[in-house]
Amino acid sequence: MRGDERRIGPDALPQTPAERERLRIDVSLLPEAVFGHRGVTWWATTGFMLIEGTTVVLMLASYLYLRLSSAEWPPRPGSDPNLLWPTVNLLVILGKCVPFYLASKSAKRLDPAGVRTWMTVGTALGFVALGIRALEFESLNVHWNENAYGSAVWGIMVAHTILMVSDVLESAVIAAIFLLHKEEPKHFPDVEDDAMYEYFLAAVWVVLFAFVFLSPRAF
Amino acid sequence: MSAPLPAREGNERELTAYEREALELERTWRDPPGLWGWVTTVDSKRIAIRYIVTCMVFFSLGGVNALIMRTQLWRPENGVVGPDQYNQLFTVHGTNMMFLFAVPIMLAVGLYFVPLMVGARNVAFPRLNALGYWVFLWGGLLLWVSQLLDMGPDAGWFAYVPLAGPEFSPGKRVDTWAQMITFTEIAGLIAAINIIVTTFKLRAPGMTVSRIPVFVWAMVVTAFMVIFALSTIATASQMLAMDRLVGTHFFNVAEGGDPILWQHLFWWFGHPEVYIVFIPATGMISATLPAFVRRPVFGYTALVLSTIATGFLGFGVWVHHMFVTGVLQLASSFFTASSVMITIPTAIQIFCWIATIWMGRPWFATPMLYILGFFVTFIIGGVTGVMVASVPFDMQVHDTHFVVAHLHYVLIGGGVMPLIGAFYYWFPKWTGRMYNEALGRLQFALFFIGVNVTFFPLHILGLNGMPRRIYTYPEGLGWTGPNQVATVGAYILAVSVVLLVVNVVTSARAGLPAGNDPWAADSLEWATTSPPRPYGFVRPPVVQGRSALWSRTPDAPEIVGLPTDRRMNLVTTAMDAEPDNLHEEPGPTVWPLIASIAVAVLFIWLMYHPSAVIGGGFLVMLALLGWGWPRGRQNVRHDGAVDPLEVA
Repeated sequence: MRGDERRIGPDALPQTPAERERLRIDVSLLPEAVFGHRGVTWWATTGFMLIEGTTVVLMLASYLYLRLSSAEWPPRPGSDPNLLWPTVNLLVILGKCVPFYLASKSAKRLDPAGVRTWMTVGTALGFVALGIRALEFESLNVHWNENAYGSAVWGIMVAHTILMVSDVLESAVIAAIFLLHKEEPKHFPDVEDDAMYEYFLAAVWVVLFAFVFLSPRAF
Repeated sequence: MSAPLPAREGNERELTAYEREALELERTWRDPPGLWGWVTTVDSKRIAIRYIVTCMVFFSLGGVNALIMRTQLWRPENGVVGPDQYNQLFTVHGTNMMFLFAVPIMLAVGLYFVPLMVGARNVAFPRLNALGYWVFLWGGLLLWVSQLLDMGPDAGWFAYVPLAGPEFSPGKRVDTWAQMITFTEIAGLIAAINIIVTTFKLRAPGMTVSRIPVFVWAMVVTAFMVIFALSTIATASQMLAMDRLVGTHFFNVAEGGDPILWQHLFWWFGHPEVYIVFIPATGMISATLPAFVRRPVFGYTALVLSTIATGFLGFGVWVHHMFVTGVLQLASSFFTASSVMITIPTAIQIFCWIATIWMGRPWFATPMLYILGFFVTFIIGGVTGVMVASVPFDMQVHDTHFVVAHLHYVLIGGGVMPLIGAFYYWFPKWTGRMYNEALGRLQFALFFIGVNVTFFPLHILGLNGMPRRIYTYPEGLGWTGPNQVATVGAYILAVSVVLLVVNVVTSARAGLPAGNDPWAADSLEWATTSPPRPYGFVRPPVVQGRSALWSRTPDAPEIVGLPTDRRMNLVTTAMDAEPDNLHEEPGPTVWPLIASIAVAVLFIWLMYHPSAVIGGGFLVMLALLGWGWPRGRQNVRHDGAVDPLEVA
């Protein structure tokens, strides 16, 4: 095993009496690819979720701020959003968490075949959701430049769509790495982090969906 | 001390294991030579120095803007510049000093010292770090080139709508401002993530949460504030850009938008921004003091908790910038109370430092003089801050030079003075040489006098009704005298900054050799060579107390076995800093530079046409693909020491 080669040789024996007393902690056999919060990449993913979560909260706060100072919401009567495609996409977005969960499970078992399958399914569903997203924009029944309501809902949707695009691309790259058998051990934790990001995007969308599509009809 | 001795011909002595490790680390961590090494480096220390130098260049340019403004205000009806140029001068000055100097230089000092102070070899994400610098550089150049081309932003550093909206600011000046914000905020967010993860996961064994140096705590709190504040302004500036580019109506009152929304979003970022500058400065004071009073800083727990409290409260005071917008009286009262409340943790910190000095044996070298200068200047700014936190008073002085005086006292006293003091303190670590103490003291004296002569008269001007942002004033208002005093002060400040540069340049070339730890200081950065090697420490240090070096015993445990043939960092647990796993860092790479150019194309294109989202986005995607694509197999051990690829 490589670790043995890196062990300190006999000439590394303590040189001075004081050094001889020192406790030596050998870290050469610690693992190099770990899952969850033990690894640094998990922290970066969490940090970026914090940044993007802040962005989404701000868009939502702006939406509510504009709504509070508006007598009618939406201002143009009869321009409530349609619910068909948004509801379908909500199901797709929630549903695609399942393959990512399974991919994450496979990654933790260090099972590249399972990762390959479920990452491919998840990524494909990601592209489907992006396709339906185009129809969701149609369902808004308002343009961004019509009034502040239109700007606010388009702003929220565009912000979430940018996150979706970057997420699908990341998933596609990870899936491609595994499909082309280019994977390295560090990519297994990446699968788990990618799945975590999926859940985050889905959870965010549940809230945004309620505000953008349900609330104009309900309140 | 320079690099560990290489084996010379005729050197018969067998190298010890420690020396062999050091030699191998030199090979593993060195950058390619020359220009290629310069553009591809991912060494956090090299990048941080580059950041700091760039920020100081921007600081000097912003200072030139200030000098031109002060020269223009020397006498009534002066004609050095016209109103349009004056608008650009103060907008670019303010924008530059906040976005291209104060915040990034604090983060840059953090990027240099956080890894060293926690005993790490590099930041957690070195390539992202390089990307952050390049993106920052392009954003800064965008602002300054636009001013040189007489198309600099001119709607004030907070770009209030409707003035900054499409109707009253046609052309591309405000778009330059908005996209420059996006550049610098991306850079800031990247730095924040790096500082947080480096602190939480790369601390030396033994550096438990309660032993993290106060400076590192300050940088972590700042980094969290950056995450919540800078993502706000990046979002808001995009909303403004979209109002201007594609006709959205976020801030257009005619179509249901609201200009006050902009002010809320801006100050939700803008006030915490002050603390993003101030909190690192408090960390610098806590880092510098022990060496100059010869005792650990008093009240570690109180200092850390105060810093965290300031971080939270900093987000609860933003409406005090908006008292004249007609906010509800209840809201005004609330924000007055919160603005007064935030003085409590700041006061606790100041009392802790006073106690530290009181109980120590102070030695008044230049860094210490700057700390004392901080006390005086910042407290004056703090007192006027309490004054403007009161609504009736604020109504009177809003938008006058009183506010200009207040904010400069706070930012120069609370930010720049501790920063320059810390520069002197850390200069030997950066360069391996001592600065010129006599010149340093003279520079401090001129700086302190210059700040007060420049900004104190502005209080009087403000109380006498002189508004901010006017390019000239008529005779007979009694404003000429204080304006002339302020202008003289500005030139004294300029001389002082020139002396600082002279001291840095001459001392870096010919100062006395400093050794590793000229101050006999207490924190880990002083355990490395001066300047530190790219890998920092040959073996990760083990920390036995809050003052890492002062509490070190000869029989301290030693970490061995961290691979030296690859760029390996030791990852420890977040709370107790116990060795947990190994994290290999990437070597030099040009991809961050390429990605930053793609990002620059995207944002500058977006100033002109929305197709940038597709075209520029595609370029960014390609760059990130090139960045992330795996380049080779590494048979590394996994959880449970099983290598799946070897098994397969």
